[in-house]
Amino acid sequence: MNYLLLTALVAYVNAAVHAVLAFAYKRRAVERVALMSLALGFAAHTAAFLSDWIQDGHYPLFGLREALSFLAWTLVVAYGLAHFRYQVKALGTFLMPLVAFLVTAAMLVKSSADMRAGTIAAGAAGWVFPIHTTFLIFAYAAFFVVFAASAMYLWQERELKLKTFSALFHRLPSLTTVDDIGSTAAGIGFTLLSLGIITGAILSSQQTGRIWHNDPKEIFALLTWLLYLTMIHYRIQWRGRKSALVGVAGFGLVIFTFLGTRLMGGYHVFG
Amino acid sequence: MSIILVGLNHKTAPVEVRERLAFTDEACAETLQTLVDGELLSEGLIVSTCNRVEVLATTRSLNGDEGAARISSFLSEMRHLPDNFFLGHLYTHADEEAVRHVFRVASSLDSMVVGEPQVLGQVRRAYSNAVTAGTAGRVLHRLVHHALHVAKRVRSETGIGANAVSISFTAVELGRKIFGSLKGTTVLVIGAGEMAELAAQHLSSAGASRILVTNRTIETAEQLAQKIKGTALDFSSLPAHLAEADIIICSTAANEYVVTEELAREALSARQQRPAFFIDISVPRNVDPAVGELDNLFVFDVDDLEAVVASNIREREREAERAELIVESEVMQFQQALRSLDLGPTVAALRQKLEEIAQAELKRQRSRLGDLTPEQERAVEALLMSTVNKISHPIINRLRHSHDTGEEETLKAWRDTFGLEE
Repeated sequence: MNYLLLTALVAYVNAAVHAVLAFAYKRRAVERVALMSLALGFAAHTAAFLSDWIQDGHYPLFGLREALSFLAWTLVVAYGLAHFRYQVKALGTFLMPLVAFLVTAAMLVKSSADMRAGTIAAGAAGWVFPIHTTFLIFAYAAFFVVFAASAMYLWQERELKLKTFSALFHRLPSLTTVDDIGSTAAGIGFTLLSLGIITGAILSSQQTGRIWHNDPKEIFALLTWLLYLTMIHYRIQWRGRKSALVGVAGFGLVIFTFLGTRLMGGYHVFG
Repeated sequence: MSIILVGLNHKTAPVEVRERLAFTDEACAETLQTLVDGELLSEGLIVSTCNRVEVLATTRSLNGDEGAARISSFLSEMRHLPDNFFLGHLYTHADEEAVRHVFRVASSLDSMVVGEPQVLGQVRRAYSNAVTAGTAGRVLHRLVHHALHVAKRVRSETGIGANAVSISFTAVELGRKIFGSLKGTTVLVIGAGEMAELAAQHLSSAGASRILVTNRTIETAEQLAQKIKGTALDFSSLPAHLAEADIIICSTAANEYVVTEELAREALSARQQRPAFFIDISVPRNVDPAVGELDNLFVFDVDDLEAVVASNIREREREAERAELIVESEVMQFQQALRSLDLGPTVAALRQKLEEIAQAELKRQRSRLGDLTPEQERAVEALLMSTVNKISHPIINRLRHSHDTGEEETLKAWRDTFGLEE
């Protein structure tokens, strides 16, 4: 039992519950509890991450369990940045429950001794491996922020067009703000994804002499990359609604990239 | 002691009655000084706004009826109004009811437009008038401070004042929803008209940095531009300037669409698809409804804005229900605080009375004791005081108990026994 991770989970669940309550009842005090709880969870989570690193003797980013937990951690980092930059409270209402969910999943998933990942890390240019995975997990977190911002955009845009407003409408940040968050996060996500793909290609060419394995994960990553490349290229013509639609669709591809390949097999299957 | 409130408001009295009874600040002070005689009424305060005139007072007697009657007859005398002119419009609340009413008024739950923020300032002013007149005492200080606290809680914990309930503020709010801050936005007013002017003014005080005005007759445009500190444009240059504007207010008497779909489409691509917000307050409409179907353009006509206002009012009413719960819990708290507030002087008076008796007896019998050392002297005194305390202690406990459980009769009996004032 990893007590540090458990502490983090309890704090995250508490943060998620309070974030949702603060959103529903607009209570400043409840919101503070959520933020403080999140900070506490983040501290425990970071400690758990470091202690795993020391205990296992390697960068803990190989199995599904570790990937889920690390993804949750990067989401908290992303939320911290967005909160600091835009003071958007509504984002936490969607993000904190997801963080709690990911950490729960990480605790439930069986940690398997992962021989292949170990071999890769020990092989030629093995030091690139943790960089490759770290870039990509941060990219996933950035794309989730794009998704959340896009969903908020589309929801509000729809209500503005229909001219009927739900209670949710008044609690969401303005269209310009969510559009700004979405495009900033998309830029960051795209950069990280590019770096992740490049490092992956370097690693693969060093170890197997091939940079492309026709693996589902690679295909979906490339599709995501192309989609965002198109979006960034047309960012002026696609401002607003269209880019929000891309943000939602792109996140579908990201989920496939992250989980879908597990079901389809291929080079990237570990554990 | 009893708290009473006598008054009328927009729900119970028509404006003809309200205006005859309204008080200016000076009249308030004068009236209060005459009304609060220190006998029947011990404290007083008058809230007078265009929607309500209310006299809040405390009486020495446990029953507020006499005080209430005094206030209403006083009002009719002082304004030379026949009783039947306004008695039917008057309401009277006593104690808990009065406290609840004051809290509801301060929290803007009793206002014509529920949640409007002005009433809090009016209550504050009424209080400061009473303080100046010297008619606010222990109970009213507490009551008003508590009411301000309740109002603050209601405002921050419910959305009662959150959404705009007028067309021009709704326009500002929707603008904020689209652009975030209105700082740096450009507003274009097409046509003239009171509502357009008002909306432009609200937008400008909400931060809009540039205002453009255009009209078929350039003179009218210039006049309006001068009034709202904008720039007048020639009407023919409208297509060229449409792209610059983030918020467009349309209010002309034209019978056809001034902003056609084609015009809007061109402007949209010229402004690189950045969103724009059209407020069409002209009838017949001046902005082609098809414009609203283009991405990133939002068109609201008069009916749309009115529908938003109506739904905001409904939202406020829902929030008001939550506010009532807050008021209810605060009324309970206040009543509890009031009871202990009320007992303090009684306890002090009882102690003082017993101590006085002991001191007087000691003085009377002192000569019989002969010469005493200072130590002995102190011992005698200590003996007397501890006897007084031992006797008063169970009585005070009993008083507190009766007080907490609201047994007014028992309290009164104790006060009578020792000849204490309330």
